[in-house]
Amino acid sequence: MQLLDIRNLTLELETPDGLVRAVDRVNLSLKEGEIRGLVGESGSGKSLIAKAIMGVLHQRWKISADRFNWCGQDLLRLSYDEQRRIISRDIAMIYQEPSRSMDPTSPIGEQLAEAIPDHQLEGASWWQRGYFRKKRAIALLHKVGIRDHGAVLNSYPYQLSEGVCQKIMIAMAIAKSPKLLIADEPTTALESTTQAQLFRLLASFNQLKGTSILLISHELETVARNTDTLSVLYCGQLVEAGDTATILKHPLHPYTHALIKSVPEFQPELGFKQQLYALHGSIPTLQHLPIGCRLGPRCPNARKECVKTPVLERLQNHYYSCHFPMLEKTDE
Amino acid sequence: MNDQVISSDLIKVSHLSKSYQKAQGLFRHKTIQALSDISFTLKAGETLAVVGETGSGKSTLAKLLVGIEQPDSGEIMLAGQVINCRGFHKTNHLIRYIFQDAARSLNPNQKISDILHDVLRYSTVLNVEQREQKIADTLKLLGLLNEHGNYYPHMFSGGQLQRVALARALILDPKILILDEALTALDPSLRAQIVNLLLELQQKTGLAYLLVTNQLRLVRHIADQTLVLHQGQSLDYGLTNEVFSNPQHDYSRKLINSLQY
Repeated sequence: MQLLDIRNLTLELETPDGLVRAVDRVNLSLKEGEIRGLVGESGSGKSLIAKAIMGVLHQRWKISADRFNWCGQDLLRLSYDEQRRIISRDIAMIYQEPSRSMDPTSPIGEQLAEAIPDHQLEGASWWQRGYFRKKRAIALLHKVGIRDHGAVLNSYPYQLSEGVCQKIMIAMAIAKSPKLLIADEPTTALESTTQAQLFRLLASFNQLKGTSILLISHELETVARNTDTLSVLYCGQLVEAGDTATILKHPLHPYTHALIKSVPEFQPELGFKQQLYALHGSIPTLQHLPIGCRLGPRCPNARKECVKTPVLERLQNHYYSCHFPMLEKTDE
Repeated sequence: MNDQVISSDLIKVSHLSKSYQKAQGLFRHKTIQALSDISFTLKAGETLAVVGETGSGKSTLAKLLVGIEQPDSGEIMLAGQVINCRGFHKTNHLIRYIFQDAARSLNPNQKISDILHDVLRYSTVLNVEQREQKIADTLKLLGLLNEHGNYYPHMFSGGQLQRVALARALILDPKILILDEALTALDPSLRAQIVNLLLELQQKTGLAYLLVTNQLRLVRHIADQTLVLHQGQSLDYGLTNEVFSNPQHDYSRKLINSLQY
């Protein structure tokens, strides 16, 4: 069943220089039990999309979409209270930099107890609730792989390492058994051994509970290994979407192609210390976006037609938006 | 034999140890062993990667090499000569350090050309025209324009800033460059650009790199030797290929296997 179905999501911001379009007509869909990766460089609007789904964007952002469906209901057409009720029931998010997004003034135990919804404690009498809440908090910590629950519950976020904070963040997110878990750059601050642990944890929730996961990251190699489907963003435009394996094998968009080629791991024939493939130039700022396809000035095969924004085209289950996809090259 | 070793090894570190004192209460101290008995050698034109988790002593090692901290025991030989903290101004143009966050390591009040002028004024005897010439050459080497000298750091994008930081390090023609997590914060396409630049410089000028990093995939691609640190101990040290295919310690095995996920 289609859980999330977003069509032509546009996020705009009013600035002194005029309207800035940070996210330009992005489509995103998620099935139940699917793990989708969202890849893009910093400033490509990944986090904005996640925040738009959570409904926590600042009021200054203008959100418009042809369709913003959650389980068949258009969230943008609901009243604010309705929207909040549905989102808080079904969607949870793991924010970037866990130690900073937790409350520094209260111990972990209190914060975790707060995240446990009341309906899970129904049946218990009011005087027993505190006890059950604590018990549930301890169970959650065990679930994310923290054994020493006593010490952790009584400590403040600054006393714990980044990896433990990240795990607590996940414990808070899964406290309400959400249908969709959005993980925004969950591994940037972590070491590679902790990273591996964390992905195993996320994968186990996906398999045991059927939770869908939207994995946001800028590291293509970690996303590729842990997801079923993939969406690639560049500067707020969706450049390619489809099955992860298909995209890695036959990228159609020059940007995805460059992204894959710049990772030494995906290039087995690349010699030791050989030059990596890189697009020249750097990502434009939001004030100076090129018109049409935003990759235009950096694209190796840009032509005159690229000043018009390409529409999203479809090849079986593989979506891409480019006037000159890399079809011939991959056929060789 | 001995002479040959000295001439081929650019830097030779033997039995380096460092501990910190941490106050506990009023009178007691707790000793934290940050590094114990580290030895390695690095030749010109080679790259040594230092990997390990936070608190494993990676940054302490980098600091000891540039002379920010003094080692408790052990010695650092640079091209056959022992260097120590007191004489660091004799060697600091040979070993240069690049910080993790380029945006925060450059003075926002100074133009790029002023930053580079300062470096030259403190460490060389060049006059103004020679300095100007040197700055122009260095900027060109790193693919920046002459006009970029008049820019302030905030006017650059992330990848360009990292180039400026590199320019500040390379302007003194160093032999060794220490990159302390300098590639971690960059976006993939920019990282590929900077990696290419570093590889090119190494081929052209025979620079040696000491790469302190967490990114094992990158290590495998660009490092000749790898040193695995864990709680100040050196666990595995050797050629990158050998360390990756046949790690000796449980911890290194765990670290390398984590790549598979």
